Amino acid sequence: MNPIEVQNLRKRYGTFEAVADLSLSVPAGSVCGLLGPNGAGKSSTFKCLIGLARPTGGTISIAGGPPRAAMFNDVAFVPERSALYDNLTVADHLTIARGSFPRYDERRAAKMLEIFSLDAKKRVRKLSKGQRAAVGLAIAFAMRPTIMILDEPASGLDPIHQRAVLDLIIEAAANGAAILFSSHNVGQVERAADRVAIVKNGRLVVDGELDDLREREKIVEAVFLATPDERRFAADARVRTVESRGNVLRLHTLRDTEALVGELERAGATSVTVQPQNLESLFFAAVEQPRPVTLEAD
Amino acid sequence: MGASFTIDPRSGVPIYVQLVEQVKRSVAIGALAAGERLPTVKQLAVDLTVNPNTVARAYRDLEREGVIATSPGRGSFVSADVPAARRAVADVSSASFEAAVREAKSIGLSRDDVAAIVGRLLERWYGTEASS
Repeated sequence: MNPIEVQNLRKRYGTFEAVADLSLSVPAGSVCGLLGPNGAGKSSTFKCLIGLARPTGGTISIAGGPPRAAMFNDVAFVPERSALYDNLTVADHLTIARGSFPRYDERRAAKMLEIFSLDAKKRVRKLSKGQRAAVGLAIAFAMRPTIMILDEPASGLDPIHQRAVLDLIIEAAANGAAILFSSHNVGQVERAADRVAIVKNGRLVVDGELDDLREREKIVEAVFLATPDERRFAADARVRTVESRGNVLRLHTLRDTEALVGELERAGATSVTVQPQNLESLFFAAVEQPRPVTLEAD
Repeated sequence: MGASFTIDPRSGVPIYVQLVEQVKRSVAIGALAAGERLPTVKQLAVDLTVNPNTVARAYRDLEREGVIATSPGRGSFVSADVPAARRAVADVSSASFEAAVREAKSIGLSRDDVAAIVGRLLERWYGTEASS
């Protein structure tokens, strides 16, 4: 059983279905990036995972059992805005953490303060938004968790500390931790994650190993002598989206790109080029409604 | 030593593929010598800020192709097997050739056009050979 295992999760608030049917698993040593527009169901999924909300349906297994208070010895959860005490200093927060988490590592905590350029003597009230986020992260990494759930871990941080968070995530994964993090920064996911889950309207629209997706999904551009018939490719299950501009047909392929190239050539394409696709373009293709097929008026 | 790798996560090319190609190129040009030790998966992941599973996948591929060898507890080393290293060299350049020929075909050059370009390039880089 993987450290994080979510099966057919559903969460409804009144009549609003925040999570419709979501399954994902994060093995030990793996980093899964959760992407999706605001309101797609990321935070609701996190709430269910850590036991802050009761799922309407489906099952969750985390650290070998259902969400429970005792799991927080192994599980670090960092919300988008950490709950901190304004009148306490950074050092006070570390003292509280030391008393609460058996795996808290004092030397590592000191190192985290250094990495995040935090002044232990400062009161939280005086910290910037980014520094507040850094306090939550410093505590999370100081407890050497085996499972980390991070909601927008780099939001508010400057680029240097954003990179530091990625380095820490990678180091934790290399030491065997399972990490699930949400982000609006596609570049961070692209770097640190080996898996990606893209959610839209409470459902997964893309899920898998990032390098497999990079290998499979391509942009194919085919040039024809006359206006091509795009309907034929729009209905193809191997194609995510089709666009045509004049004599150029542009396909976003889901798989079997080589075979599609052959078919385009046989259909009379005079030139076919295949380009790799980065996560950003994959994200937009997956999250946007498929563009309606525009048919030339005859 | 002195082989250093750079990864472009935004290029859309699978990161493990980028790493495999760069290790092969380093072996090909001699920046990595036969028998030389490679960084551990963890070390390279941290150095490049890329996912450790992705680095492990690249190492597995390199091992399967005989470019590197891993012994448990000792780490990964560039293969001392010369034929495997030579194949790695050929792989690196044939991939570049393939991309170039594919591009030439897609912009409509004929087989003869491509052969003429290759002929000129061979002459430039290898010199005019006494035709026999």
